[in-house]
Amino acid sequence: MSADSKVSVKKRQKLGTAETRRLRLSGLVPGIVYGHQQEPQPVVVDETLIHPIVVSGHKVVDLDVEGVLEKAIIRDVQVDPFTRLIQHIDFMRVDPNERVTVDVAIELKGTAPGILSGGMLEHQLHSIKVDCLAYQIPDSIVVKVSDLQLGGVIHVNELEIPPGVHVQTQGELIVVHVVKVSTRELDLAAPGAAEPEVIGKKAGEAEADAAPAKKK
Amino acid sequence: MALMPKRVKHRKEQRGRVKGNATRGIQVSFGDWGLQVLEPGHIRGTTIEACRIAATQYVRGEGKLYIRIFPNKPVTARPLETRMGTGKGEPDHWVAVVRPGKILFELAGVSEEAARECFARVAYKLPLKVRLVGRTIKV
Repeated sequence: MSADSKVSVKKRQKLGTAETRRLRLSGLVPGIVYGHQQEPQPVVVDETLIHPIVVSGHKVVDLDVEGVLEKAIIRDVQVDPFTRLIQHIDFMRVDPNERVTVDVAIELKGTAPGILSGGMLEHQLHSIKVDCLAYQIPDSIVVKVSDLQLGGVIHVNELEIPPGVHVQTQGELIVVHVVKVSTRELDLAAPGAAEPEVIGKKAGEAEADAAPAKKK
Repeated sequence: MALMPKRVKHRKEQRGRVKGNATRGIQVSFGDWGLQVLEPGHIRGTTIEACRIAATQYVRGEGKLYIRIFPNKPVTARPLETRMGTGKGEPDHWVAVVRPGKILFELAGVSEEAARECFARVAYKLPLKVRLVGRTIKV
């Protein structure tokens, strides 16, 4: 279950692109708190404080908005593809006894014996959608692959789900399987057309266009 | 035969400029590790093929390689020692246009060390700066 983490945030008065850029440069992350039919509140949080919480997979946090305590779940995190820093964070106000729908990461544990017999472990589904009480949100769903032989498959409906948590993802989807490594490769050496077909042009016209330029 | 489209609307295209950052294909979506490009530029179909060979030789029998780019832009060239004029040259090769942030290749089923070593070999083949990225952000 998610251990609640305390996050102190400050209200954000100045909004807009320029102001949020200044905040990010000073090591802060802009965010917003919404939900429970209250007015959305733009906030700002310290990057060093929120980064470990996001990485750990914790969903429920105790928000301290300038002295006012609220429970919230981390609904969305925007990450810069270059700096890998958090750009913006969404907190949704939540009651601990309220049912919520969240994505939970799937974590593989152990070594599949199928790998030793020439197979490859293919992790197809990295997260599943679950519906549970806010205080019951698991950090991750652990999947033991230590019994997975070559050709073995684990589907969503075979996962060990904590009690009270309902999976919303389709049960027949493959989470992980051990497949035989394919030696088939792209046959790029095969002879083919030197140039692709031009849409809307007949073969004669395309050849006329493809005639090489005269040397002067 | 290197990678190229099967059908095209026009045989020749204008060169254009590669501006801005990538907005699509910036997340590791299929594998566990990705090779992210940090500069704008063009990557030839033959270069992608060289990278594929380098990567598959290293991860043979262990991991799975995903190629996230495709050379869909024709580049023309003039024959050597020809005078100016007589119009645009003939299609010479095909390139993939990449903007900073694009994930070029992905690897699944290998450890971080193996992915790092594999992508280091791939990076030697590429004309642009690249780096290894994972699926999630790190502390």
